[in-house]
Amino acid sequence: MSGAGERAESVAETAPAAPRGLARLLVYLRHNRGTYVLGALLTLGYAASFAAVPMLVGWAIQALEQGLGQAEVIRRCGALAAVTLVRGSLRYGSRTLLFNGARQIEYELRNDLFAHLQRLPQSFFQRWRTGDLMSRCINDLASVRLMLGPGVLSVVQTPILYLFVIGAMVSLNPLLAALVLLPYPAFLWIARAFGRSMHRSNLDVQEGLAALGSQLQETISGIAVVKTYAMEPAASAHFDAANERLFAAQLGLIRVNSAMPAITSMLPAAATWIVLYVGGHMIADGRMSVAEFFTFAMFIYELTFPTFIMGWVFALLQRGRAALQRIDEVLTTQPSIADRPDVVAVPPLRGEIEFRHLSFRYDAGREEALRDLSLHVPAGSVLGIVGPIGAGKTTLAALIPRLLEVPDGQLFLDGVDVNRIPLRTLRSSIAMVPQDGFLFSMSLAENVAYGLPAVDRERVHEAATRAQLAKDVEELPHGWDTLVGERGIMLSGGQRQRTTLARALALRPSILILDDTLSSVDAETEDAIRRELRQVFAGRTVVVVSHRIASVCEADQIAVLEEGRLVASGTHAELLADGGLYARLAQEQALEEELGEALDHAVGEDELRA
Amino acid sequence: MSGAAQGQDSLHEEEALGKAVDGRLIARLWRWVLPYRWQIAATLLLTAPLFLLELAPAWIVKSGLDRVQPDAAPAGADAGPLERLLDPPGAVDALAWLAGLYLLAMAGSAALQFVHTVLMARTGQSAMRDLRRDVYRHIQGLHLGFFDRYPVGRLVTRATNDVENVSEMFSAGIVALVTDVLKMIGFAVVLFLVDARLALVAFLVVPFLAVCAVVFRARIRGAFRLVRVRIARINAMIQESVTGMKVVQLFGREDRNLRDFDALNASHRDAWSQSIRYDAALFAVVEIANGISTAVIVAYGASLVVGGTMTIGTLYVFIDWMRRFFMPLRDLSAKYSVMQSAMASCERIFQLLDTEPAVRDATPAVRAPAPSAPAARAADRRRTGPGRSGEIVFDKVWFAYQGEDWVLRDLSLRVAPGERAALVGATGAGKTSVIKLLARLYEPTRGRILLDGVDLREIPQRELRQRIAMVLQDVFLFSGSVASNIALGRPEVDRAAVERAARMVEAHRIIERLPQGYDSELRERGSDLSAGQRQLLSFARAVAHGGDLLILDEATSSVDAETELLVQRGLHALLAQRTAIVIAHRLSTIQDVDTIHVLHKGRCVESGSHAALLARRGAYWRLHRLQFEQSAPALAAG
Repeated sequence: MSGAGERAESVAETAPAAPRGLARLLVYLRHNRGTYVLGALLTLGYAASFAAVPMLVGWAIQALEQGLGQAEVIRRCGALAAVTLVRGSLRYGSRTLLFNGARQIEYELRNDLFAHLQRLPQSFFQRWRTGDLMSRCINDLASVRLMLGPGVLSVVQTPILYLFVIGAMVSLNPLLAALVLLPYPAFLWIARAFGRSMHRSNLDVQEGLAALGSQLQETISGIAVVKTYAMEPAASAHFDAANERLFAAQLGLIRVNSAMPAITSMLPAAATWIVLYVGGHMIADGRMSVAEFFTFAMFIYELTFPTFIMGWVFALLQRGRAALQRIDEVLTTQPSIADRPDVVAVPPLRGEIEFRHLSFRYDAGREEALRDLSLHVPAGSVLGIVGPIGAGKTTLAALIPRLLEVPDGQLFLDGVDVNRIPLRTLRSSIAMVPQDGFLFSMSLAENVAYGLPAVDRERVHEAATRAQLAKDVEELPHGWDTLVGERGIMLSGGQRQRTTLARALALRPSILILDDTLSSVDAETEDAIRRELRQVFAGRTVVVVSHRIASVCEADQIAVLEEGRLVASGTHAELLADGGLYARLAQEQALEEELGEALDHAVGEDELRA
Repeated sequence: MSGAAQGQDSLHEEEALGKAVDGRLIARLWRWVLPYRWQIAATLLLTAPLFLLELAPAWIVKSGLDRVQPDAAPAGADAGPLERLLDPPGAVDALAWLAGLYLLAMAGSAALQFVHTVLMARTGQSAMRDLRRDVYRHIQGLHLGFFDRYPVGRLVTRATNDVENVSEMFSAGIVALVTDVLKMIGFAVVLFLVDARLALVAFLVVPFLAVCAVVFRARIRGAFRLVRVRIARINAMIQESVTGMKVVQLFGREDRNLRDFDALNASHRDAWSQSIRYDAALFAVVEIANGISTAVIVAYGASLVVGGTMTIGTLYVFIDWMRRFFMPLRDLSAKYSVMQSAMASCERIFQLLDTEPAVRDATPAVRAPAPSAPAARAADRRRTGPGRSGEIVFDKVWFAYQGEDWVLRDLSLRVAPGERAALVGATGAGKTSVIKLLARLYEPTRGRILLDGVDLREIPQRELRQRIAMVLQDVFLFSGSVASNIALGRPEVDRAAVERAARMVEAHRIIERLPQGYDSELRERGSDLSAGQRQLLSFARAVAHGGDLLILDEATSSVDAETELLVQRGLHALLAQRTAIVIAHRLSTIQDVDTIHVLHKGRCVESGSHAALLARRGAYWRLHRLQFEQSAPALAAG
């Protein structure tokens, strides 16, 4: 991931200076300044109550001590109760305001993060793992929120309440106040140390969890190998080791988390000890009242909790800052595919494609995925792209709708540099059916209508019929309303591919790109689909990427790629005669392809004979 | 989302959330806690001294306060035995003595608290480590079909986040809850013992608090549920959008997608705003109740002190202990939330554990039924090692991955010991399913598969798979070194054995060319290796594994000419001296084998040697003629 980080930084330097890190948060804080200012004011009032309540308790006991009568005691206790009510309301108000403010910022930041992700090119998503991005959108954002909620609250509240309490203490009994407060500064240092080791231990646990998770993920992905090679004992031992490491990390965190309250509790203990010993003697000597003793004991109690959570707050701030940095890594990645100032208005595309010495690499450090590729595809013609795995077929296809960053002057549609065509025009004229057959967790109808402004039943039906999907729909439990995708029912590979094809056809594009789209569709259905496509796409441009010769052999032009280079192009017959890679591929594949036909034939005859 | 989709939505398992304390689940969880019952007992026993140490400090302060009062009765005069316990020995200053005791009590309390928390959390983590181990073992034992349906990410979540959620229950949930309740009862009891009149007055606010708690409980439960449901939806949407970002961008859905996301995101924020209000309100109510009870204690206590029936020190004890009584109530809602999510995670984990492995070893009772002749013979043969000859028989096998979608229909074929057989057929003919069934990754729906006359179901999976070396088309490489990917974690395969295997299949030279040779780490599961290199590695893997049965799904992907030659030679070496079943894609491979089985739509339509099949002038002959005419020059060149 460091590569991504470096890349992000280098891009950010050239971009207009967007606020980063804590400065970025200021922007959001400014949006919500009303909430935060009011919240801070209420917090101020709440902090004052930390001094007020002990004073009032002392004041009531003073009435008792001085024998002012029961009525006076009750009156003062009434005041105490009233202040308590105000205190509770202030707490409620300040907490709701600040915590909701933090939630609001979390919401804004998450929206911005999501919108930003949608603008990033495919190369970004190939570099970053989905789990990592999700963790930034969920976990890291939660850490930032904690920093903005309880974190900000403590940072505002703790010093102020200390000031109030110290002021009250000193005004009552300066000597005792000085003695009691003596150990507190040292504690600030202890809390920071604890905060640090808590943060570190937290990271250890997170790392342990991540290691365990990725190991599990790998084992499950390779479960067929694990099973057939009877690797279970070795895999289990591997898992157990990761499990023990996680356990050890967790024990470390437990120790820090338990030691902190234990050590922290000694602070009020020491303070009360001083009040008991020194204050006790002062009372005995008549230099202090019992009421004052109560007040001091209450002061110490009031300071306990805010002091107690200081280590936790330090850890929280540290974690929040680290999380913010991780979020920044995503946000500072510039969306490199966007409309540029030099866009030109173009009419809907006719579908002419021209590659002029096109070269492309995914990352500065990596080898070129495509090298010096030139090819002209007239509007309305069919281009086939074949080649071995890793030859660059999919990359080439993905460049046409600008899913990847196309270098200037190397790809032209209808004679216009693709980088100067408005994205909206470009993508509404091109429909691509990607390899993976990805469907969203929506109804089948919504999936087919994905590119349309609304579900247009007629268009959906037409596209589905052409993609040979219509008959499958009847067999689904809820027909068109069946929920598909990861959270819905499992469609077969062929059904998924036909759905994605229908999704593309519903757009009625000028250029249709099929990226190995029909690999899981049986030969018979593929034939039917191809017949339909010929009909629909008379006069439109079709790009068919495939590793199957049979899928491209009828194309007007076939481009053969190998290691990013265009090694040959021509029609099926020309390329076969050529005897190169294409002929070799054709020969390899003929066995299987023709076997099916031969068998259909032979078995058919057998059955006739029987 | 449409209405129908919405309706099905609620079925999503991550969103189900029930009670905060579910006896059924806790009872089941007990199995993992049981080995640590002594630690649990120790933790519970520790609560008694901890409670006493929590009582002590206030009592010591009270004693000090009462002793320094100018009008106080002489120490120990009216005091009970408790008070006399605190009397200083001899001439020691009473206050110094008490202050010392106070510090001692606090230090003891802190130390004991530390031990208690560590012990409790350690117990929980130990149990969770065991649970995680069992979840892993269970996942590993499930049959392959399960993984076709269950997303990997969700399985990982079960073993990581879900177990974490359950473990929270130990540090912050149920144990803390039980301890808290016990402590609150304890404080109530001792307060009544110290002064029943004052205690009665001090606890006046408690019924009010109880009503509040009941009202809040129902609402907080709903609020937390809502929050979790919505964060689960956000999670799902981010995951889906990131995975399908290509489609989002291609179809220009960014704006609508953002609007949908905004709606989810806002509903999550609003769900929290409810939760935040309840949480803040609960804390505030407890704080107010505590404050009012303090006021009441002082007001009523003052009259008792004036009446001479109570000392002012008792007032201190009451204020302190009441505060401790209220303390656990403050973060009650947080604990509730922890419990609720722990229970939901528990439920999900148990659901996974309840998934029965569809492929399992026969119990001894089943494995050895009546001593029927064939079974006994088979058992003999298994015992006598050398009899392992490797005869494979598919006997009227039917198989479907799902329902009635038959992939294999009444398939019968036999591979004689030591024979090399090829399966040929078009895509979807069922070739891959045959080899998956043979490795018992799946179970036949009907019919049986015999290995040396024994039904596969009666052979322990380990035993079966140790005999099988399987090479799949899609070579899966694990992260780690080249050597570890050949040895696959078996200790008996040392470096020499790895190299021997690699040499045998012509992989040695290619491996030596890698930067660190056999120790080269494979990046991103071998993405830096070519398809041919990966194939050679998997050949070496098969040789190192041993076994007398080779199952091979020949790769279709084209590789460069040099590697192609190596692959062919490696393949030849691999096929030698083994019973082998090969899914063949190359004519050269087919001509190498003894028998060819032609599969079509799940049936075996022709079997026989290359020559016999040609003589038969059936499907294979037709195919071969087609092939030969077209590719004769290419083959000659190769």
